[in-house]
Amino acid sequence: MPAQPLISTRHLTIRFGGHVAVDRVSLDIEPFTLKSIIGPNGAGKTTFFNLLSGQYRPTEGRVYFKGVDVTRLTAAARTRLGIGRSFQLTNIFPSLPVLENVRLAVQAQRRMGLKVWRHSRRFPELEDRAYEILETVLLQSKWNALASELAHGEKRKLELGILLALEAEVLLLDEPTAGMSLEEVPTIIGLIEAIKHRRDTTILLVEHKIDMVLALSDSIAVLKDGRLIADGTPEAISRSPEVQAAYFGGGATGA
Amino acid sequence: MTSDGPSAAPTPVQASRILEREARFRQPTLYLRLALTAAFALAPVLLPSFQLMDLMLKIALFATLVASYDVVIGYTGIVSFGHAMFFGFGAYAVGLSLGKFGAPTYGYLALAFALGVLVSAALALVIGAFSLRVKALFFAMITLAFAEYALILAVQLSHLTGGEDGISPKLPGVFAVSFTAGKVLGVDVNGRVVTYYVVLVVCLALFLTMSRFVHSPLGRTLQAIRDNEQRAEALGYRTFIFQLISSSFGSVVAAVLGGCYAMWVRYVNPESALSIQIMLDVLLMVIIGGMGTLYGGIIGAAVLLTARTLLPDLRAVGTLMFPGSEILQRLTERWLLYFGILFILVVFFFPKGVIGTVREVLSRRNAAR
Ligand SMILES: Nc1ncnc2c1ncn2[C@@H]1O[C@H](COP(=O)(O)OP(=O)(O)OP(=O)(O)O)[C@@H](O)[C@H]1O
Ligand SMILES: [Mg+2]
Repeated sequence: MPAQPLISTRHLTIRFGGHVAVDRVSLDIEPFTLKSIIGPNGAGKTTFFNLLSGQYRPTEGRVYFKGVDVTRLTAAARTRLGIGRSFQLTNIFPSLPVLENVRLAVQAQRRMGLKVWRHSRRFPELEDRAYEILETVLLQSKWNALASELAHGEKRKLELGILLALEAEVLLLDEPTAGMSLEEVPTIIGLIEAIKHRRDTTILLVEHKIDMVLALSDSIAVLKDGRLIADGTPEAISRSPEVQAAYFGGGATGA
Repeated sequence: MTSDGPSAAPTPVQASRILEREARFRQPTLYLRLALTAAFALAPVLLPSFQLMDLMLKIALFATLVASYDVVIGYTGIVSFGHAMFFGFGAYAVGLSLGKFGAPTYGYLALAFALGVLVSAALALVIGAFSLRVKALFFAMITLAFAEYALILAVQLSHLTGGEDGISPKLPGVFAVSFTAGKVLGVDVNGRVVTYYVVLVVCLALFLTMSRFVHSPLGRTLQAIRDNEQRAEALGYRTFIFQLISSSFGSVVAAVLGGCYAMWVRYVNPESALSIQIMLDVLLMVIIGGMGTLYGGIIGAAVLLTARTLLPDLRAVGTLMFPGSEILQRLTERWLLYFGILFILVVFFFPKGVIGTVREVLSRRNAAR
């Protein structure tokens, strides 16, 4: 037997009213690999992420992290276990400065949020670390701006920076490059590649840019109408007829 | 690459923090705060009138109360309508311990504050535990219901609380009306004056404590929760615990202030300590001054309380100067109405309140440089 999967789902299902957004999905994510989840708009990719990270509770099915059932845990508890995520719709602290956005994530990662006796400036190591992360996502020149004043692509970088600050074992990346300008995309791809090559982090990536997916992924899962219709190596997936129809034929376009 | 010891060049953040530290004694706001403290401390010496002393101390008390409300609503984003109830608990604790039961001793005074704080903390925790997890509106409604219920209890349980008539506590030792210790700087040092300074020091200490609270890592986390609760949770923060800490902390501060208020006015009744009017005043003050500023309360309290105190006097002056002017009298009768209109205009044009707007203008100007 190979190593135990880092995350597994079993018959994971969520229904909104009559609509089944995620339908009996059983998926294994091997440690230190990069797995992409692709599928047309509305396939349930974001909803699947929400089930993994605890934003939603499933109607049926289970989520396991390192073999432990985490289905009933809150989002906060799952983050503390090591499941970090970024959001498709930028999810930042708009009225706080950029550096503070990341500093809060560093503070969470170091479990220092309950300190109340000293001024927060008395912990410069948090700011130093936050600034380092801003440098990684090429946002250091904006450290003093309010997050709400950033351009869209910059907000996406901040979103990523906040996630990196958590130093999570698993990164759930929901369309990290969506809405970025063309010049910015390679930076982010380079960043993801660098993390992948460190071989200490497991990445789950949702992306519409199929070239990017094929280049980065160790394996690819395909969702359609909430169901898992394929799961395999990039080569196998790009040869599968259903995926061909959706991505390489005349059907839905990528990006 | 930044933590290679002192030899490494400072990052822009570090450089900016060093500059800030060096400039901290050159900040105008520091001197503004010192001047304000001096004004409160010197008022009884420079203008020995009871009316002025009363106004000043009430401004100090309410400014601090508004700041404690700001911790909850402005920094954490929790809308509570029960904040004044905790103020009332503190006031009634002093009333009951020094007026109805107990005796005018320092021991009972300490007991009163301990009781006010404990009861408030316990109730804030219970209310929060049951209703903070639910919708924000639910918390607002529950706190309003509790505040209303506390008011009804204070009126109904008259054998305990003195009902509508209230209680007049007698203060011990240096706080007693009969206490005198001669003159210092031309001021009669009596029980009133001692109470003034002790309450003022308590207000100042509470203000400093709250300032530390909101700027601590915990306070920063509260602001994150206010900004985006879901995101704060996705960072791993147990947002519920943080909200519970914040609302309980604010309630405890309010209780201490209520106790101080009862010591100053030496009287507690449902209307002066528990009525919804106090809550409305606090709300008005926090909106005028600006939420999430802590210091806004000083402006809000000063504006509202000064208007309340002085406008009836101005009316009297007006009537004296223009006797028979019925129009003037009619007009001035409605000063509260004008105040309401002014309030609406302020909210409309300065939604961030006075301090909030000033801060925004200043930070824009800094950014433009
Ligand atoms: N909270 C919700 N309530 C009701 N329906 C929902 C909810 N969240 C998602 N859905 C529905 O579930 C389906 C899947 O949505 P989801 O956002 O997961 O798709 P997606 O694969 O991420 O699509 P995209 O590529 O556009 O991001 C959609 O039909 C959506 O309307
Ligand atoms: Mg999506």
